[in-house]
Amino acid sequence: MLPNTSRRVLARILAAALACTTALPPLAAHAADKLTYFTWSGYELPEFSTAFNEAHPDGVETSTFGDDDDAFTKVKAGFRPDLAHPCYDKVARWAKEGLIEPIDTARIKNWDKIFPVFRNLPDLQAGPGKVWMVPWDWGNTSILYRTDLVKDPAPSWNLLWDKAYAGRMATIDAVHDTPVVAALLVGVNPFDMSPADMDKVAAKLREQRPLLSSYTTDMTSVEQALASGQLVAAMTWNASAVALKKQNVPVDFMKPKEGMLTWACGFVMLKDTPHADLAYDFINSRLEASSGKKLIEDYGYGASTTSAFAAVPKETLESLQLPADPEVTLKSTVFTGPMKQADDLAKMFEKVKAGG
Amino acid sequence: MAETGTTAQNGRADGVFRAALALPGTAVTLGLILFALGLLALLAFRVNDGSLFGAGLTLGNFRTLAAEPLYGLVILRSLVIAGLVTLATVVTAFPVAYYLSFHARARGLILFLVTLPFWTSYLLRVFAWKIVLAYNGVLNSGLMALGVWSEPSTALLNTPAAVVLTLAHAYAPFAILPILVALDAIPRSLVEAAADLGAGPLTIFRRIILPNAMPGVLAGAVVVFVPTVGDYVTPALVGGPASTMIGSLIQAQFGKAQDWPFGAALAVVVMLVILAVILLVRLADRRFGSRT
Repeated sequence: MLPNTSRRVLARILAAALACTTALPPLAAHAADKLTYFTWSGYELPEFSTAFNEAHPDGVETSTFGDDDDAFTKVKAGFRPDLAHPCYDKVARWAKEGLIEPIDTARIKNWDKIFPVFRNLPDLQAGPGKVWMVPWDWGNTSILYRTDLVKDPAPSWNLLWDKAYAGRMATIDAVHDTPVVAALLVGVNPFDMSPADMDKVAAKLREQRPLLSSYTTDMTSVEQALASGQLVAAMTWNASAVALKKQNVPVDFMKPKEGMLTWACGFVMLKDTPHADLAYDFINSRLEASSGKKLIEDYGYGASTTSAFAAVPKETLESLQLPADPEVTLKSTVFTGPMKQADDLAKMFEKVKAGG
Repeated sequence: MAETGTTAQNGRADGVFRAALALPGTAVTLGLILFALGLLALLAFRVNDGSLFGAGLTLGNFRTLAAEPLYGLVILRSLVIAGLVTLATVVTAFPVAYYLSFHARARGLILFLVTLPFWTSYLLRVFAWKIVLAYNGVLNSGLMALGVWSEPSTALLNTPAAVVLTLAHAYAPFAILPILVALDAIPRSLVEAAADLGAGPLTIFRRIILPNAMPGVLAGAVVVFVPTVGDYVTPALVGGPASTMIGSLIQAQFGKAQDWPFGAALAVVVMLVILAVILLVRLADRRFGSRT
């Protein structure tokens, strides 16, 4: 009898398992109707894609990253979103690895409203009428410092190397930020380095390490630390400056004489996505003037379209230190393009961070 | 019920039952642990050619590792931090377990309280420590109110000490439970006999309780030590640049630096180092342990 009962129990378990598996496909099919969007944390807000959300309620699933180098590895290792949001300096790598497919500009309604300086970026071009990435946002990287705790600093990136503020500074843990600045300071071309140049950059970074409280991409923590006074200066993006000024923290976003870093990011479509139509709808909704306006006003980043800039009052742009034309910005800043030795630089940066 | 079947039938059912019980464990061990470990070991000998699994076979990863003193330094740092965490955890866990085993009335309640932090996510617990240790945090404000210092200290957060503290708190139950089990297994008659023979409380503790509890202490220590050596979340959140542990370096190879074979080589070396440390501890325990 024992074998019989146990056999009956086993049969029941198997039946239950079978029921579970047969119940799964509809669920999976349901999830499959959604667009998967892989983006920087903070860029997933539904307000940025209102038109898409109206047309496809609950139609997008997001997954976020803190650094697009990590995002690249994740996709390379098999993660398959439909749309991703890397920055310009990485696009050529994504394309070279065969991870993304060209986007048809004819299907991008507001393509002509994108500033030519972004539209014509060399690594975007994927043949006539095709691009690898649709630019959406751009912004600056600089030093955000407490004006009451750092009195009239010289406008230079060297502030982050100032021993007077040891232990009270932080920098961004990303290859396209901190090492680029170190390269600018030692007078080396950040985008194409010889091994000797790399050593110089490494030496400069080593000099900075003992002075830092942390290497991080967690901007919320950096903002809190600046607000509390634990940090007096940190490398940040302009959204942090906007956020802290809104809280009335006495901060200023420096204009270093070596130049701020300017970056541009956008949407890439993953190869063989089954949701190309949804993806085009999503990109189109993000290129609406209202979406770009939201990005400018909430985060202080630049939108890629002229129409978004036109929708924002002039005073707001002035208070955000955003010129109506990115070309004006780019005259005085360093545009983060592809780095030829990105992998070597990443390894070197990791070693320096660990104390080598 | 068993009498109704023949012995042979029973034996067969027994075998089937045992096989069924062993099946999930075997499948997990073979499929998820041994296969993954084998893959990692293989990957460690590959050349990084930009693809995920590399190409060819080489010893180059290990040569780079040996040639660069940094990796040894970071492994050593990880061992020291994990060692301190283990020490702190075991030393604080022992009295708790002792109290639970010998004196506690509300044993269920205390055990419940010990495991309570586990009901929240690990990240939440780390952030809770950030609130305590931050510049304008609980500890700084408290010490300033007491007049210990007049300016908030930046020496609490983003230091190796913060990493040790956070990890020791997070892993406390892992040490308490095995020690408690070992203490519970000590026959109370032994303690009474020792007292009858004139041993004071200290002698009883030193000669009866501690030696008999050692297996639990060692088990707890291993359970705390092994995962903390490779931890990378905690140093990233509460440790500054001076507390980069080997886990962060390994993670970076699989992330930003895009060198999976080298990351695998690092992981293999760390595993071997941990294995060596544990073997050494076991050897020392066998040689010098006071168990008879």
